Amino acid sequence: MYKNSQFDGNAAFSGGGFMPSQATQTADHSFSPAKNRDAQSLLPLTVKQISEAFQASDDKVNFLIDGVDVNNVKLLGMLYDKAERITDVSFVLDDGTGRIDCHRWVNEAVDTKEMELVLNGMYVKVHGHLKGFQGKKQLMIYSVRPVTDYNEIAYHFADCVYVHCHNTRLRKLQDAATAPTHMPNSAVNTTSKGFQSNPSNHFSVQYNMDGLKGIDKLVLDYLQQPPCLAQEKGVHRNELAQQLNLPEHKILEAIESLESEGLVYSTIDEYHYKSTANG
Amino acid sequence: MDTSNPAVFVNAELLRMHVGRRVRAVIQVLRSDGGGTVVGKSTDEQQLVIKGHPPGPLSTFVEVIGIADSNQSIRAEIWTNFGDTLDTASYNQVCQLANGDYKHLFI
Repeated sequence: MYKNSQFDGNAAFSGGGFMPSQATQTADHSFSPAKNRDAQSLLPLTVKQISEAFQASDDKVNFLIDGVDVNNVKLLGMLYDKAERITDVSFVLDDGTGRIDCHRWVNEAVDTKEMELVLNGMYVKVHGHLKGFQGKKQLMIYSVRPVTDYNEIAYHFADCVYVHCHNTRLRKLQDAATAPTHMPNSAVNTTSKGFQSNPSNHFSVQYNMDGLKGIDKLVLDYLQQPPCLAQEKGVHRNELAQQLNLPEHKILEAIESLESEGLVYSTIDEYHYKSTANG
Repeated sequence: MDTSNPAVFVNAELLRMHVGRRVRAVIQVLRSDGGGTVVGKSTDEQQLVIKGHPPGPLSTFVEVIGIADSNQSIRAEIWTNFGDTLDTASYNQVCQLANGDYKHLFI
């Protein structure tokens, strides 16, 4: 029963991108950017990331960044070249990584008022939709707000890094999951009874995947289980060694490499670790 | 869309890697003489000299965007007052991320 609910959660959120799901494994269904219009996400991005986004296909209007459908985006930067016209206001947003053209349609007094508050040279936060027009990428802006607390700047860029990490990791795991769906279960069960996740999702220890080695993945998977995520102090190294039936020095290596990737962190002391993913 | 002139997030440590390039840094103003230099403390607690004339009175924390002209100084083009309170630790972390593993998201 637990297995099934975990599975459904994945199916609903896998197309979205930003929403962290409980388990990060999806065994049988392939990752395709076209699914799940309901799971549209708001991505914090830098202009550099946008410049590197590519169009998924000709008939689709959307772009892909880190394998995720880009619909709504938020950026933070300095506003320049503000040009007010009758029905729209255009400006350039420079966030230190690049400049992008932005358009804001002004249909109501509320919109005009909002645009009057922002001036050239001000730091602003924008929310909008990424559009390609005649080969150029542009932003159709829904909202522009001046930045008042400058901690927002550090926060926004940290957010961009976080979401990027999350999406690329999700994508690696899903790519790996779709690759060999015929892995024999018997080779795999190095995990013993504490485990509740679907054993067919696991890969044998020797199998090297995109980015995460077999053992690293096992350790990460164990730490990402909801009961482990719920524990404030994380999981002791010895418990990992016992449950995964692996020698301690292997666990240590795995933890070190996961820590350097930013996937786990030590909690109350250097023996306890927790996954950085959200429960 | 133009990514040709980025301003790299730097603190004092990282400034030396980008001498001659456009950088952005937050400093805590220590003293500003009227003669076109401001001495400030970077987000990693080291001294930086900012050359240029600020457009007006400066708050405690200021972000400068300009060209790094030595290991310890920046020729500022744009000055932005960041107010009197700021979490320099977060900004410092962002500088390190932007120059380290996540450089490809920034420059």
